[in-house]
Amino acid sequence: MNQPAPQMRKQRIIIVEDNALVAKFFQMALERAGGFSCVVTEDVTRILCEVAAGEVDLVLLDVSLTNAEWDGRNVNGVELCRLLKGKSPRHLPVLLATAHAMSGDRERLLESSGADGYLEKPIYDSAQLLAKVHELMA
Amino acid sequence: MSAPVPSRPREETFIEEMKRYLHLGEIDAILLKRLLPRMEKHLPEMVERFYAQIPHHPGASRVFTGGQAQVLRLKSTLQAWGHGLFNGVYDERYADDRFQIGFRHVRIALDQKYVISAMGVVRSFLQEKMFDEFPSREERLAYSQALSKILDLDLNLMCDSYFRATMAHLQTLNQELEQASLQLAEANAIKDEFLAQVSHDLRTPLNSILSFTKLVLDGLCISPEEEKDVLRDVFSSGQLLLRLVNDLLDISSIEAGKLALQLEELDPRTVLDSTLPLVAVQAASRNLRLVDETLEQQLPLVLGDEIRFRQVLLNLLSNAVKFTPSGGVTIRGSTDHALGFLRIEIEDTGIGIPVEKRDTAFEKFVRHDRAELRGITGSGLGLAIAKRLVEMMHGKIGLESGANGNGSIAWFTLPLASHAQPLEAQPA
Repeated sequence: MNQPAPQMRKQRIIIVEDNALVAKFFQMALERAGGFSCVVTEDVTRILCEVAAGEVDLVLLDVSLTNAEWDGRNVNGVELCRLLKGKSPRHLPVLLATAHAMSGDRERLLESSGADGYLEKPIYDSAQLLAKVHELMA
Repeated sequence: MSAPVPSRPREETFIEEMKRYLHLGEIDAILLKRLLPRMEKHLPEMVERFYAQIPHHPGASRVFTGGQAQVLRLKSTLQAWGHGLFNGVYDERYADDRFQIGFRHVRIALDQKYVISAMGVVRSFLQEKMFDEFPSREERLAYSQALSKILDLDLNLMCDSYFRATMAHLQTLNQELEQASLQLAEANAIKDEFLAQVSHDLRTPLNSILSFTKLVLDGLCISPEEEKDVLRDVFSSGQLLLRLVNDLLDISSIEAGKLALQLEELDPRTVLDSTLPLVAVQAASRNLRLVDETLEQQLPLVLGDEIRFRQVLLNLLSNAVKFTPSGGVTIRGSTDHALGFLRIEIEDTGIGIPVEKRDTAFEKFVRHDRAELRGITGSGLGLAIAKRLVEMMHGKIGLESGANGNGSIAWFTLPLASHAQPLEAQPA
């Protein structure tokens, strides 16, 4: 999985994260250590388009977003997750990330969003991030 | 009391009830009215006895602050009170008049025990005079009983009024306490929010430092250039963290009153010239014009703390640059010789600040929450610190809309050195 054959398409991950440095870390860790192809964006139309086309293998989604808009209003990661799940032609793993870690948050967020996994920030170890991503894609 | 207490009629007032308990009836009223011409002449002496007693109580100096005039006024009030005792009319107006006593005394914090004990003096004085007026025991007895009843009635009315006045006073105090406790809870909630925000803001750059360092250590960078790029992010996160910690230390020492300013005569030119280059780099990297219109002006000397003047300028300027995606930032100066201050304003062509947020912008950690703010980082304390510093230098600070409704103007004033009081008169 780490070294896909050249003719095979790299697995594609969309990173939805408003903090540029956190997004940069996610991207580098996933591309360099995981061999994924990543894109960082908060553009909801674009994300839904790619998801609907079945071109996405996993979405890494921050709960608090500043720039994601849908239907003329801001949406957060939980709402975006529900949109994604509705658009995807096949099972699309979504990994939810948040810094607001409190007990009870995890279950509540997973249930209301329909996400497959939950990642508690801070994450600064690429191995930890990859382990979670692989678990959801298995 | 020998006779049984009659049952209480409906709608009985307090004075009626007291009269019933004391068996103070029409006959007593007639007797007391007859006493008036005989007792009237003793009233001035009674007043003197009373006031010989009262001012010697501890705390009296706090109450008797009006000098001789006050004492004379109080004496005539007491004489009128004595007159009222023998007037034979003990109705609602009589009760209302007596009811004021406690309220007046509670208002000036005169302890009731002094007045109640002074009433004892009055009682023994008047009963003593009865012996002079009525040497015959039989004649004296009926009058004496009537006098005793009216003095009891007055004491009851007075105690009741003290009790009610004290209750009212306690109620007011209680409300004040409740108010204070609400304010305290509010302040505490703000403090909690502040703490949560600080923790989050400290953790964000710290996470970047840790995650990027780990990337490099894990050998995940594909070239030395990329490694350098990542290390630059580590470095700028470190700088952000340092700025945040410095701002936090500043705001906490300001709020604890521990920040001492050195107010001296300053040339604003020097301060501007040493500050602008710091922002120029920031502005140039974002393709913003930075125009200093004060270069063509003769700026007067002001009174301020050089380091803090520079800090205010830097905070406002870097804020302007931060919130301006395109266009530029202009610095202007104007002098009001009549009121004696220099006004420096910083206008930007940025995203502006909504009117309703202008007042709160100077509070800790209040930021725009608009979508355009992506990627804007800072401690969120810049304006709060600037406001406190400007005020410590006896100036003012504010925010306005830009010239044609776009962007915003941040301004502050500093007192002119020529206009200020002598330096030694300024608080340190």
